[in-house]
Amino acid sequence: MAVKKRAKDLNILEKLYIPEIVKGMTLTLKNMFRPRVTMEYPEQKFEPPASYRGRPVLVQEQDAGERCVACGLCSRVCPALAIEVQANETDREKERFPEKFEINMLRCIFCGFCEEVCPEEAIVMSKDYELVYTNREDAIYGKDKLLVPVEQLQDRIDYLRNFK
Amino acid sequence: MEKYHSANLSDQRIIDALIAQDPDITIEDALENEMIINMGPQHPATHGVLRLVARLDGETVMSVVPELGYLHRGYEKMAENMTYLEYIPHTDRLDYTSTMANNVAYVMAVEKLAGIEVPKRAQYIRMIVAELSRIAGHLVAVGTFALDVGAVTAFMWTFREREKIQNIFDRIAGARFTTSYTRIGGVASDLDSEAIKMIKEFLDQYKDAHEEFEKLLNTNRIFIDRLEGIGILPKEDAINLGITGPNLRGSGVEYDIRRAKPYLFYNEIDFNIPVYNEGDSLARYFVRVDELKESSKIVYQCLDKLPQGPTMANDAKKVLPKKEEIYTKMEELIHDFMLVNFGINPPVGDVYSAVENPKGELGFYIVSNGTGYPWKFKIRSPSFCNLQALPLICKNQMISDVVAIIGSIDPVMGEADK
Repeated sequence: MAVKKRAKDLNILEKLYIPEIVKGMTLTLKNMFRPRVTMEYPEQKFEPPASYRGRPVLVQEQDAGERCVACGLCSRVCPALAIEVQANETDREKERFPEKFEINMLRCIFCGFCEEVCPEEAIVMSKDYELVYTNREDAIYGKDKLLVPVEQLQDRIDYLRNFK
Repeated sequence: MEKYHSANLSDQRIIDALIAQDPDITIEDALENEMIINMGPQHPATHGVLRLVARLDGETVMSVVPELGYLHRGYEKMAENMTYLEYIPHTDRLDYTSTMANNVAYVMAVEKLAGIEVPKRAQYIRMIVAELSRIAGHLVAVGTFALDVGAVTAFMWTFREREKIQNIFDRIAGARFTTSYTRIGGVASDLDSEAIKMIKEFLDQYKDAHEEFEKLLNTNRIFIDRLEGIGILPKEDAINLGITGPNLRGSGVEYDIRRAKPYLFYNEIDFNIPVYNEGDSLARYFVRVDELKESSKIVYQCLDKLPQGPTMANDAKKVLPKKEEIYTKMEELIHDFMLVNFGINPPVGDVYSAVENPKGELGFYIVSNGTGYPWKFKIRSPSFCNLQALPLICKNQMISDVVAIIGSIDPVMGEADK
């Protein structure tokens, strides 16, 4: 189906150009009274939905410490090779725990694959999107920065159970 | 393309190529009238890092040679060292104006290779997101094209509409830009009712917004005078050069993979394929604008037909199991570990699968030797092939029209350089 007509054929009024300018200005003026589409960012914060993939964090239970058993599946699947896990053993009910769990936030691409393959629901994507550091060492997040109490992550965990 | 070992040799090749396009030239004539200039790689109008070396006579372009490769990241080679699942985020970074369409194209190739049957709901969701990202991609194309020829307002308005699509993707996939939404055997997460409502609201208001910016450009005399008859790509040349997508349809060839070789459920959907015969920059612009309307028509129909059901195929050896089953069942836990560690191991063989992306035919050619990693991976990227038309259609145009021509070809260098 080849289209013959071209919408470009202008009539004499349109060719005169001046009425067109006036029309254009009216359109611009009309836009001044429309609702604003931008956001005043630092004052006004963007509230992400539960599906949002922000900074990956480790889930911390109230009494039992982290859920992670250091199986290393997240570090295996990570396409950007950002995660480093080192396992150790304890006498607790869960016999393994990550002695060292580091995510290099300069490498992380926020794809969420770590969360998707985790067999323990131990690593989830939070809503945190403001990541700033002043040097490269600070960008490597250890367990101290990664552990987040489970209450703060509840809606992401609910989302995972319902939609994944 | 040959591999260059030094910058000087590379420049010499370009100059040779420039001269080779016009064998009648004498050196005296060249010294008197002509000069060779660089456009790009850091030029705002070349849409990324595209470098053009142009031979000029006054303001007329005698010949032009595009140099690609400034954004080369070796995606074809990288694929050989990662499992099929791990490669999904990399497809986001091919044509970064329409990430979802790339995701869909890639997993469809892998599924064809591994022989995975995808549930109907997942296929409809894929159609919805692919068409939405076609709208987003064309909005960027039309907006930046208008910006190239001096219409700044249209650019702002198209980006405002695109922003709404990004918010929908944020809701569906969890990221505005690098979506990584599809999975081998389905899609990563189901559409919730809120997301469907957002898509409907977007489409309802999009009709008016579309008419508004169309009105701004279609009867704009400056816009039309700058584009009409500029960069004519004849039908035969377009076919011979392997041009696909809106650029081909702007030259009067009615070829769209969605119609020629339907995939997903495009054969059940009613839509038109806009074709224009003129082959100039304005025709290519009109094709994109008409396709925007057609795409929103397709999304409406997909939403009506969206069936209920699972979004991931049930194939334990090839498709990641559901999260809840991993937590509670031993079998699924083992499969999870096996799939992640060793990959999906598709049978020995090769496959080529192509889909109609906003820019044209995006094809993946995968050779498998039976392991979890592809043995050879080739991307047939539409932008790369479409750019081959530049030397032909820039010839004997004014230098300022080259900007308009690049805008009308609409290359995305992430894809062209792979």
